[in-house]
Amino acid sequence: MREFVPYPFAPEHHAAAIPALQDGVEARRPAAVVVGGGPVGYCTALGLARHGVPVVLLEADDGVCTGSRAICISRRSLEIIDRLGALDGFLRIGLPWTGGRSFYRQAEVLHFTMPQDENQKLPPMVNLAQYHIEQILLERAQALPDLIDIRWQTRVTGVDSRADGVRLSLSTPAGEYALDAGWVVGADGGRSFVRESLGLALTGTSYEGRYVIVDIRLRSDRPTERLAYFDPPCNPGSTVLVHKQPDDVWRIDYQLRDAEDADQATRPENMLPRVESLLAMMGETGEWAPIWTTVYKANALTLERYRHGRVLLAGDAAHLLPIFGVRGANSGIDDADNLAWKLAFVIKGLAAPTLLDSYSDERVAAAHENLGHGRKSTEFMAPPSFAFDLMRQAVLGLASRHAAVRALINPRQTAPITYRASPLNAADDDRFDAGPVPGAVLPECPLRVTPDGAAPRDAHLTDLIGAEFVALWFAQGGALPPALQDLARRMVTRGLPFKMLCLTRADALGDAQDHTGRLFPMFGATPGTLYLVRPDGHVLARARELAPGPAAEFITAAIGRALDLGART
Amino acid sequence: MNNSELETVYTRLCQTMTQLGESQAPLFLARFALLASVQVGQAEIVERLIADAAEGLAQSAPD
Repeated sequence: MREFVPYPFAPEHHAAAIPALQDGVEARRPAAVVVGGGPVGYCTALGLARHGVPVVLLEADDGVCTGSRAICISRRSLEIIDRLGALDGFLRIGLPWTGGRSFYRQAEVLHFTMPQDENQKLPPMVNLAQYHIEQILLERAQALPDLIDIRWQTRVTGVDSRADGVRLSLSTPAGEYALDAGWVVGADGGRSFVRESLGLALTGTSYEGRYVIVDIRLRSDRPTERLAYFDPPCNPGSTVLVHKQPDDVWRIDYQLRDAEDADQATRPENMLPRVESLLAMMGETGEWAPIWTTVYKANALTLERYRHGRVLLAGDAAHLLPIFGVRGANSGIDDADNLAWKLAFVIKGLAAPTLLDSYSDERVAAAHENLGHGRKSTEFMAPPSFAFDLMRQAVLGLASRHAAVRALINPRQTAPITYRASPLNAADDDRFDAGPVPGAVLPECPLRVTPDGAAPRDAHLTDLIGAEFVALWFAQGGALPPALQDLARRMVTRGLPFKMLCLTRADALGDAQDHTGRLFPMFGATPGTLYLVRPDGHVLARARELAPGPAAEFITAAIGRALDLGART
Repeated sequence: MNNSELETVYTRLCQTMTQLGESQAPLFLARFALLASVQVGQAEIVERLIADAAEGLAQSAPD
């Protein structure tokens, strides 16, 4: 019998600490508290810190997680992580990949690729273990000790949400205390205590189909891609997924048959032969050892609202998505990115608290889109009835000779979501024939940034997005017009995080140049085109054929409307 | 029909058969095949589709 081996990662243990108290209550009253030190909690805390807002992060455990869990991080998530200053670790450790292959019995029936072209800065996906993800984000947070206060081994035991704040009751090995927070973000996972203490329930679909998840240690030079085996010779009637992780760890998921008992299935005597025969079929002859195993059932569930007074829910605490399509951690990171700037603006008094309702509106809509894709992926990967099973058999049998049905096998990997119905969006300008609509994320494009007095250097459009609203002024050449320079100065005087950039076609006198000639057509832009982008990289508003004066008014109106939206309605 | 519409059709077929139950699924598929044939409207295309649909089943039908 093969012996289990540990993950090639040893988390550091952190002691509990109690802050200065007054009558059992923390003397200081933090404006923002994040509950949960997972990827979503860290991204929320780092996002708030990026806007200069101090945050307390509460984690029940004494270190980062020990299992590999979420392993696929999307390009969109990497863009967000780049803005949080933690990209390097993800690219250094993560294994980039662009596609995958699906097999039915012996035959390859689909070779899919995710969007990848010469315009991209980042790979469509990287694989790394959740302990890597958390460790990298933790190290980034530890580099900001004045802004991010991490409290280990601190468990929330009570949530009392009031009109002017939230009182949290906390329990640690060093004692108990209470904390009065201005705002609380519940990012405490699928079994969220914060969610339950508010009496909120997730609704949607829970699937019966079960998968065994096994991480193994295996050295192999096989490339990083998603492999799916339907009805494979090594495990007839089952479906098997294989993903490569860093440090010689591999993730294997295989479907259990309806009659199989879940407890029995994860016993080594039943699990090990399945893995052994899979590796033999794949031609993997290297020495291997099991690391960890569990049984998984897909859920497609969400809350109806993510804002409840001064408590906001994010990530798995707000919605549970099936693993198929890798939307779990990635949608949570998107939640964090959407929430962080809005909460920061509200805490800094730059926006009405009702801006946070748009967090709920946008991310609930995103969850429904994710759930739709996740349901379809699950119905294919774990057919919920004889009919789904029969139709899948038909598709897989036809796919090798009939290309038209192959799209039905595509794993529908996570893709950026457009907030089409967002209350923040300005009405679109119907003269555009290309480019991202209000609510969409920016497509990537190389450009040459031309900083004042410094040598031009190659960069990408997403590098221009920071912790502020960014207005992109498309011009033939020259520097930013005076009316727009004035606007930028006025915004800064008001304390509003704002950046005005001039993108030029013909010369390098602006802030960045479209040196490939691809940026202008990609954005449907001609000189006098304006895109206004939110701090999370989504387009707020756009217009064509503007003179500088009206462009300044357009920007002021769009930002003013977004930040005061709720206050007026 | 684009890929998204194909997915919708696929799901609708699955859901309809699930509601009808396994015993009625063959009859449902037979009725659907007849209606689709009439809609296709060209005998030689339908003949080819029948051959394509049957291909490989004898060798690979499970159970």
